[in-house]
Amino acid sequence: MSAAALDPALAPEMAEAGSRPESLWADAWKRLRRNRAAVASMVFLIGLSLLAAAAPWIPGLADPTLQDLRLGASPPSAGHWFGTDELGRDTFARVIYGGRISLMVGLVATLVSLVIGVSWGAVAGYRGGKIDELMMRIVDVLYSLPYIFLVILLLVFFSRSILMLFVALGLVQWLTMARIVRGQVLSLKHQTFVESARALGASDAAIIFRHIVPNTLGPVIVFTTLTVPAVILQEAFLSFLGLGVQPPDASWGTLVSDGARMLALFPWLVIFPGMALSATLLCFNFLGDGLRDALDPHDRRDVA
Amino acid sequence: MRPVIRLRVLAATAACALLSCAPARQADVQTAASGKRWFGDVRPPVENVFTYANGAEPERIDPGLMSGQPDGRIARMLLEGLTTPDPKTLESLPGQAYRWEITPDGRTYTFHLRPGLTWSDGRPVTSQDFLWSWMRVLKPETAARYATFLYPVDNAEAFNKGEIKDSTRVGLAAPDDSTFVVRLGQPTSYFLMLTQFYTCLPVPRHVIEKHGARWTRIENFVGNGAFRLAYWRQNDRFELTKSPTYWDAAHVRLDRVIAYSVDDLNTCTNLYKAGVTDWNPSGYLPAQYIPYMKDFADYRSGRYQATYFYSINVTRKPLDNVWVRRALNLAVDRETIARDLLKGSRDPWGNISPSGYPGYQHPPGLTYDPEKARECLAKAGYPGGKGFPKIEILFNTSEDHRRIAEAIQAMWRRDLGIDIELSNQEWGSYLQATTSLQYDVSRRSWIGDYLDPNTFLEMWRTGDGNNRTGWGDPRYDALLRRAAAELDPAKRFALLAEAEALVLDQGAVIPIYHYSTVELLKPYVKGLYQTALDVHPMKDVWIDRDWQKDAAPVAAGAAAGRGGSGTR
Amino acid sequence: MTTFLIRRLLLIIPTLWVVGTLTFFMMRFAPGGPFLAERDIPAAAKEQLERQYGLDRPLHEQYLKFLANTVRLDFGPSYKYPARQVTEIIFEALPVSLELGGWALLLAVLIGVPIGVIAAVRQNTGTDFAAMTAALAGVPVPNFVLGPLLVLGLSLSLFIFPPALWSGPQSRVLPVLTLSTAYIAYIARLTRGGMLEVLRQDYIRTARAKGLSETTVVSKHALKLGILPVVSYLGPAAARVIMGSVVVESIFAVPGLGQHLVRGAFNRDYTLVLGVVLFYSLFLMLLNLLVDIAYTRLDPRVELA
Repeated sequence: MSAAALDPALAPEMAEAGSRPESLWADAWKRLRRNRAAVASMVFLIGLSLLAAAAPWIPGLADPTLQDLRLGASPPSAGHWFGTDELGRDTFARVIYGGRISLMVGLVATLVSLVIGVSWGAVAGYRGGKIDELMMRIVDVLYSLPYIFLVILLLVFFSRSILMLFVALGLVQWLTMARIVRGQVLSLKHQTFVESARALGASDAAIIFRHIVPNTLGPVIVFTTLTVPAVILQEAFLSFLGLGVQPPDASWGTLVSDGARMLALFPWLVIFPGMALSATLLCFNFLGDGLRDALDPHDRRDVA
Repeated sequence: MRPVIRLRVLAATAACALLSCAPARQADVQTAASGKRWFGDVRPPVENVFTYANGAEPERIDPGLMSGQPDGRIARMLLEGLTTPDPKTLESLPGQAYRWEITPDGRTYTFHLRPGLTWSDGRPVTSQDFLWSWMRVLKPETAARYATFLYPVDNAEAFNKGEIKDSTRVGLAAPDDSTFVVRLGQPTSYFLMLTQFYTCLPVPRHVIEKHGARWTRIENFVGNGAFRLAYWRQNDRFELTKSPTYWDAAHVRLDRVIAYSVDDLNTCTNLYKAGVTDWNPSGYLPAQYIPYMKDFADYRSGRYQATYFYSINVTRKPLDNVWVRRALNLAVDRETIARDLLKGSRDPWGNISPSGYPGYQHPPGLTYDPEKARECLAKAGYPGGKGFPKIEILFNTSEDHRRIAEAIQAMWRRDLGIDIELSNQEWGSYLQATTSLQYDVSRRSWIGDYLDPNTFLEMWRTGDGNNRTGWGDPRYDALLRRAAAELDPAKRFALLAEAEALVLDQGAVIPIYHYSTVELLKPYVKGLYQTALDVHPMKDVWIDRDWQKDAAPVAAGAAAGRGGSGTR
Repeated sequence: MTTFLIRRLLLIIPTLWVVGTLTFFMMRFAPGGPFLAERDIPAAAKEQLERQYGLDRPLHEQYLKFLANTVRLDFGPSYKYPARQVTEIIFEALPVSLELGGWALLLAVLIGVPIGVIAAVRQNTGTDFAAMTAALAGVPVPNFVLGPLLVLGLSLSLFIFPPALWSGPQSRVLPVLTLSTAYIAYIARLTRGGMLEVLRQDYIRTARAKGLSETTVVSKHALKLGILPVVSYLGPAAARVIMGSVVVESIFAVPGLGQHLVRGAFNRDYTLVLGVVLFYSLFLMLLNLLVDIAYTRLDPRVELA
């Protein structure tokens, strides 16, 4: 039997009805399915990701970098569903390609923060004592640092590449992740299954990463789902300052911050990217809330 | 639930779309004499208060140390120099000096100060004040950014660079309290223009010696200009009141001037539209708005002494090859950029020095010739663009720069077959890169300080601090030296034109467009004119509450619908 | 409690030291210096300026001097605005940021908490979704879109409010509104989450069983614990909002602290940036301390470490 099966707090159904060890997840999935907003959001996001990923191969989709200076900015029409920008580029194409970039930035930066944050928080929480104190103090210090400098510096020191943007944005988010994971680990490490694993002679690293971390996945997943939109918004903010994605690539952030400047003249330049951005962010939020509701109830009930 | 939520988001954005469509047509309209509408609220202020957006917060208001237009505007209201510019022609009119003599060899100027001039604290203004102020600018310890302005003065450059230690050798003298004598190193025909500039403004010695760097604080400040400093809050505003001790106070019709330190262009324009400000100076209108603003009567435009160009770093391969540079130059379609991208708000320009110098014949400017460009590139060893290394266009963060760079990137790709990259850096990094020659091609602009082509040509001398291309040519330097010594204006201009032709032929710069001033001015503001240097003496400005007498009858209901957005 | 307080206060000092040191070295390593400009300054002038500001000294000497000055709370004059001292700049901008941020958070709490409570009480019903969508409307619309939208709608078309500047009570409305919408959403969500958790607890069931009205149950018993997540969020949120949203300050020309930070970075204004960063860190830590104390007041089960 797996270690997880030993812990009644994590699988009460099993204790009651003797069913499969993964019933936590199946149960959560059942609950999630009932949340229509979350399901709709998930469908939307998956669809959007597929569309964005397949963008270069979609037939009939205009080249987002193709300029038509004579045309300039024009409102939505049959030829250009979302209109064109001041350089005559098709806004529809730019929104789709922008989605590629925004989603990529969101996912990769979140992944970066996930890896660092989970490791950091788990180690700190499990070790406790001085190490925990030191590690969390570092987190506090970094939290107080206005990240904009970090980002400017990184973007300036190394090339202003998208890779650097991923790293910079990821570095901001891991702090909260670490805190959450640490909190979870603190409450988990005195559980019976951990004691058993230790009694069986498992190393600290094994215990942390093979037993504890998987059980923190609930809140981690929720937080991850909520971090992606935060990162996307942060990239938009950086674009407003001119530090986001570099031309000729454009993310939704660039499109929206540029478009907002010309709101009175060419409203379509902010409306369409804005709608795409808003819809995506809303969906991530609904999904995150749904996941939280789905995974929520049983983790808290401490059987002690 | 999904349709409901989607509907809400859609509804919200649709509402916003509608809202945003409306105002462009719904601007307050009062028909001007020309039949055009006015942009925004045109009710004049009740008092003689002139309000405008001054741009970014000035770094300082000490004229000897400053560099920047927002700084200069404030300084010129608080202090007055030997001469003041004519509000229309920028000719040097008598300021603190009421007359002057120039010796026939063009090297010595004698200025006579008006009798009875005083600082705002009552102390008399004397020629020793001018002497002290100019020497202060030239002293190396002061680290004045515009000390180069005074280099035409004899020995000034050597003294400023520390080569001469004896200050009496500099060609400035004050034989008595009201006479100020300037001896130039060489005849400089534009010297009188220089005396208008803020670097040449006098500063109160007695205050500076007492308070040091804190002399510009509002409780210490003393000036001799038309206005006094009444309020100053960083990133917020300056408030100036009319100075009763100014010699020409009778001529000044404004009681107060409020200058808001607003950075964001959209905000500046919104403030103007709402009637909070009376003037939106040039450069504070977002570029994309310009084509739409042309239809309003507030819109005023004219040539500005500034050009926009790309510098090429000739120390890097393959840009060290003159044929490569020529190819790059000839493949830029300036006409299309100016017409389509800039919507005709700027003129395409193929020269490095702008227009507006009577008597100066520009050499033939660079044009768009893709055929010839391809030939040049082939001659350089990259036929059809094959094998051409990747270079970058560097520009500082700005919408406009990015658009132009993208357009040129597309042109070079289309006409030359080369693929280049764009690099967008924030200001500090951009400056670092250009000054240390860490770039390939960089966007630049240059604004003239005085009305003479020299201000655009002296920077290309070998090793000049503003060169930043690594290009230099002894022939060019020699031409400029001869021009500086030349007394005959026609001959001098001919030499300068020859020098300009040389720098254009060598392709170290790619001129793109000629700047224009684009400003918005309310109809009730009088005495403020469009000028080539974008300089506007405030003492001549006044509010005409009866301006409508000159206009057509007011459109009915036009003044209705205004809420509480007054000037304060 | 006192030991806890003293320990936390003492910990502030080393943290500030780390923050200051990191920032110091980051600024020094960023390319570009404070004296570069489009127009070249003569080499002699540049040297002179560097000497005046001590930038010609070796890096470790500059660092030590910086430490010594910081202890005396002397950050010197700003590089970009030499007529002003850094402390002066900070204290001039601070009241503005406090006001802007204060109103924004107050609004966010006053609107967000009730929405969250209602949503929690009516979980998974239409009201829940309506409330959360309304609140969430603030999240996906970034400041720099909402701001211009509000200006366009309420200022330039309907002339109700001035489009910018910070003078007069009317000018407060649009910036505060723009700044608070994102926080409303977060606070609503946090309240909802917190309340949901509390409402499941056994003692709530007991209270209901005792026959207390729903309103009493919710407001008297559940709310105190339900808003705990909001309380712990308010600490860092307050610090962040006090720094002003740079966007809001830029769009509405509000002379707050946020602008100084960002512009300072772009201008390489070393002294100003260091001053603002240290101030921000101190502020953040004090707020976190306050939050932790408030936490214990609200939840007697929580023990301070």
